[in-house]
Order: sequence, then structure tokens, then C-alpha cells
Amino acid sequence: MLNELVSKINSAVSGANASLLTPEDSKLESSILVDAKKIHAVAEFLKKSKIMNALQAISGVDYVEFIEVVYIFGNFDIANPGQLLLKARITDRVNGNIDTISDLFPAADYQERECFDMLGITFNNHPDHRRILCPDDWEGFPLRKDYVAAKNYNGMEVFPEGKMNMADREFIVRQEMIKKAQEAQSGKVQ
Amino acid sequence: MMNKWDIPGAPAEKPTHNAITEKLKTDLLTLNMGPQHPATHGVLRVEIKTDSEVVAAAIPHLGYLHRCMEKHCENLDYRGVIPFVDRLDYLASMSMEWTYVAAVEKMLGTEVPRRAELLRILTVELQRIASHLMAFGTYALDLGAFSPFLYAFDEREKILRLFEEISGARLLYNYIWIGGVWNDWTDEQLTRVSEFLDAFEPETDKYHDLVSVNKIFVERTAHVGVLSVEDCFAYGATGPVLRGSGYKWDLRKNMPYSLYSEFDFDVPVGTAEHGELGDCWNRYIVRMLEVKESIKIIRQVLQKLEPGSVMGKVPKIIKLPKGEVYMRQECPRGELGIHLVSEGTDSKEPYRLKVKSPCFTHVSMLPHMAPGQMVADFVASIGSIDIVLGEVDR
Repeated sequence: MLNELVSKINSAVSGANASLLTPEDSKLESSILVDAKKIHAVAEFLKKSKIMNALQAISGVDYVEFIEVVYIFGNFDIANPGQLLLKARITDRVNGNIDTISDLFPAADYQERECFDMLGITFNNHPDHRRILCPDDWEGFPLRKDYVAAKNYNGMEVFPEGKMNMADREFIVRQEMIKKAQEAQSGKVQ
Repeated sequence: MMNKWDIPGAPAEKPTHNAITEKLKTDLLTLNMGPQHPATHGVLRVEIKTDSEVVAAAIPHLGYLHRCMEKHCENLDYRGVIPFVDRLDYLASMSMEWTYVAAVEKMLGTEVPRRAELLRILTVELQRIASHLMAFGTYALDLGAFSPFLYAFDEREKILRLFEEISGARLLYNYIWIGGVWNDWTDEQLTRVSEFLDAFEPETDKYHDLVSVNKIFVERTAHVGVLSVEDCFAYGATGPVLRGSGYKWDLRKNMPYSLYSEFDFDVPVGTAEHGELGDCWNRYIVRMLEVKESIKIIRQVLQKLEPGSVMGKVPKIIKLPKGEVYMRQECPRGELGIHLVSEGTDSKEPYRLKVKSPCFTHVSMLPHMAPGQMVADFVASIGSIDIVLGEVDR
């Protein structure tokens, strides 16, 4: 069924370069990869042809070589229920950008803001392009794989030495000591 | 802005005197509702622009309860994530657990024993009743009625006590595990469930008499915050919000998962007995009718239960194949989606876990609902979509 959809997308949107991604394991979900520049046209096609009538979520995955934006559509049609994972890949980690689809699906507004907040992808023409979950002055994009937690935030030290819960650490150290002692003992027995 | 001089009875000639026009200059007032506003059900801040009593615009500010749950999960093994998903929607933890666990099981290909599946349905439907009771109580509280809250908490307490017996916790259970459930229910406990249902069913009729048809309640909620089916699709609304607009969609019926296809139950939609489809009253009544359907399902589970194992065969260290799944389930507040990505069998941790939260989607509808409402009606609208901030902010 997804194969048909791929050819439909390719014939309707020129330059979409849609291709089917099938996992090795058949239990897992197949998805459709399209060109990032044509995402708006593809979403418009899906909406106008009534293949998918609602956007559920926009998820982003950082695969280091590229960042993948996963558009999760749902078809809330009682006769033909279904869902679709539509993907676009962005290779530019510094100025990565993609067109917004919030004019087609208002649900994308908040989802794209979350994707920007967590993975640092800019959505062109977005009506309200701000961070949503992190504070506005937050630095870095937490769900990127190369994210390093800041040592300071607004002049406050993160994890100050004096205020750490030392009981936890002592517990871990004690556990390690017990483990070492047990290992030493079992070594003697042998 | 409305021109105050267009009203009947105003002087025929508009005064042009500077002092008067200056006095009549109107401006929007910015009002912050929250983050510690009792009507926002948690730490939601809504910045509203009011034109006297009327809301002109509403801007939700999220993130006060953001705990980086998705980032934490990337550093935990698959079993270790379960207590974290508990803390998403802390009023319906069982549903949260089940969705995550189902996603892992789908990737793993685990077969869950029949008794475990039935017990999962039992706990999740009990949880749905508890969650809807909470929604009912706090919604009435939002609108100024205090006693329904006490009635609802009395009954919810009985469910939480049962959950405490089987899982050891009242709110954050860690009960549904990968491959089955942690603990079996004894026959005595199951008898108590059916005793609870027998006592609880007449209570729901009492709630209808007390609140649903109450004149003040109907006046406050009918024709308020109307959302059409098209709005719901545009914003991706699910659950009672979608059904309140009159669209008969329930994942348990339309895309059945687990053993739900074996059960006989209805999908209640807004009745438009009061108000119109898609208003606050209809969203409320959908929840109250769903409680009755859950009771029906639990009765059928109790009949179907047969002794057996409650834990399937699961490897000690869970490693998932390379790829992803997107798992949707019908939770009390709407459809929860778990997008789980695995890097391959070398890794014991999820590569990425994205939670599609129904409450997050519903909050994004507030700016659409608000314009033109009175401030008090806006409070009724926030209550009617029944959000839990733990799930919105994750």
C-alpha cells in the first residue's frame, strides 16, 4: 500500500524523490522519505487528496550524519483508518531549515516549535518561531547527540559541589567496595 | 476596536473635543493566568489580552513542568523507562505505561499471555474511571461547585486503594511490565472490583442528577468553547474532545489493539441534549458516558478471566532491532503516541523516544478557542479539555 502512495507522491509532486524505507525486521514500521525542499508540496498533496486528514506529531531524530524530521500523519476516516510516517532529512547541522506546514495543518504550529526547541531545526515562514518547552534564553538543543549540558545557567552553577546529594554517591561507592570485596573473596575460594 | 459612539442613545454628533476622546481611548489589558492559577490544573501560564471582560487573545506559555523526560530516556535501559512514562500523565499512569510497553513489545515480538492482557485491560479501564472522576470533580470545582469534587474523590480513592494493593503505589505504579504485568490479582481482589462496580454504577446516575442537568452548570457550559469536527482534525485533537464534537472515533473500536475487538461496548459521542455539538457540556458528557462503558468492559473482563501466567518470555537484557515504531493507544485524555527509535541490537537504550501527548495538542487549541469568550468562560474551556501538565511539558 505504501508503494502505491510513493508512486502517487512522485507523480503529483515533481522533484519530491519519494522513496520507501523498509526496515530489515518486518515487525517494524515502514516510512516514506521525501526531499526536504518539497515537504510543503507533499503535505499539501496528502491533505488535498484526502489520504491523511490530520497531523499527529512531528518528531525529530538526530542520526549525527543527518537530522531526520518525522511527520506522523493519521487518517481519522472510519472506513479507512491508518497512519503514515513521512520523513525528510536535513544534513546542515548549523543552518538546517525546512518549510513550515502549519498553514496546512495548524497542529504543526506547536509541534514544529518543539522540534526547533529540541533539535534546532529552523522552520521557514513559521508564524511564531520561538522555543516552547525550554526557557527562551536556553543555549543549545538538548536532544542533539552532541549536546553538552551547560555548567552555568544565568550565573547559577549547575550541580554545585556543596549541594550535591552526597548520600547517593556514598551509597554507590559503598556498593562498589562491597562488590570488590566479594570478588576478592570468591577469588580466594577458588 | 469597537466604536463606543455607535451605540443607540449616544449623542448624534460625535464630540471631537480632545479631552473626551483621550478618555475614551481603549487598550487591551494583559492578564497572566498562572502559573499558579487553580483553574489551570497545574503549572500552565496563559497570557490573555482582555478587552474589558472579553478575551481578545490567549497565548499559552508551556514548560514550567519540563523535566527533559525524552532526554533522560535516552540514557536508560528499556525497563528503566517505565517509571518515567508513569510521570507523564500522573492521573492515568497505567495507560501511559501500557502504550510504552506495547511499543517495546511490538518491536521485540513478545507474546503476552491472555490473562496478562485481560488484567491490563482491567487496570486501564479502572484507571480511565479514576481519571474521568478526577476530570469531573475538578471541572465542577472550576465552575464553583465544591461538593461533586468530594463525591468523585471518594470513589476514586477506592480505585486507588485497589491499585495500591496490586502495585504498592497509589499514583505512579510501575505495574505493567514488558511481557506482562508485575503482579497477579487474587480472586478476592477481583470480587472486590465487581463489588465496587455494583456500588459505583448507581453513583454515576447521582452525578448526572447533581451536575449534568444542573441549571447553573448547563448555563456555564452549553454553547461555550465550541470546536467543530474540522477544527479538531486541523489541530489533531483526539479522545473526548473529538468525540464531544460528534465524531465517532475511538482507537479501541476503529483500530483495535490488544483484545479490545472481543469486547462489546459503545463509543459515546456528544449528545447535544444541552448546548450544541463541540461545546464544553458535550465534552463533559462524553467523559461521563465513557465511565459507564468502562464499567461494561470491566464486567466482561471479569467473566473472561481464567487462571494462567501473567508474564511472557522476555530476554533478561532487552535489545531491540534497528528501526522504529509509532504506537497509538486510547488514553483517558486522547490518543497517546510513542515514537520509539532503536539503534540496533548493540544498544540497550532507546535511541530516541518521542511522546505525542494529547494534552499538548489540546493546549494548542486554546488560542483558537479563546477570542470572543468571557474570562469566566475561558476558565470553563480550559477545564473542559481536561489537561494534565505533566503530559504537556514532559
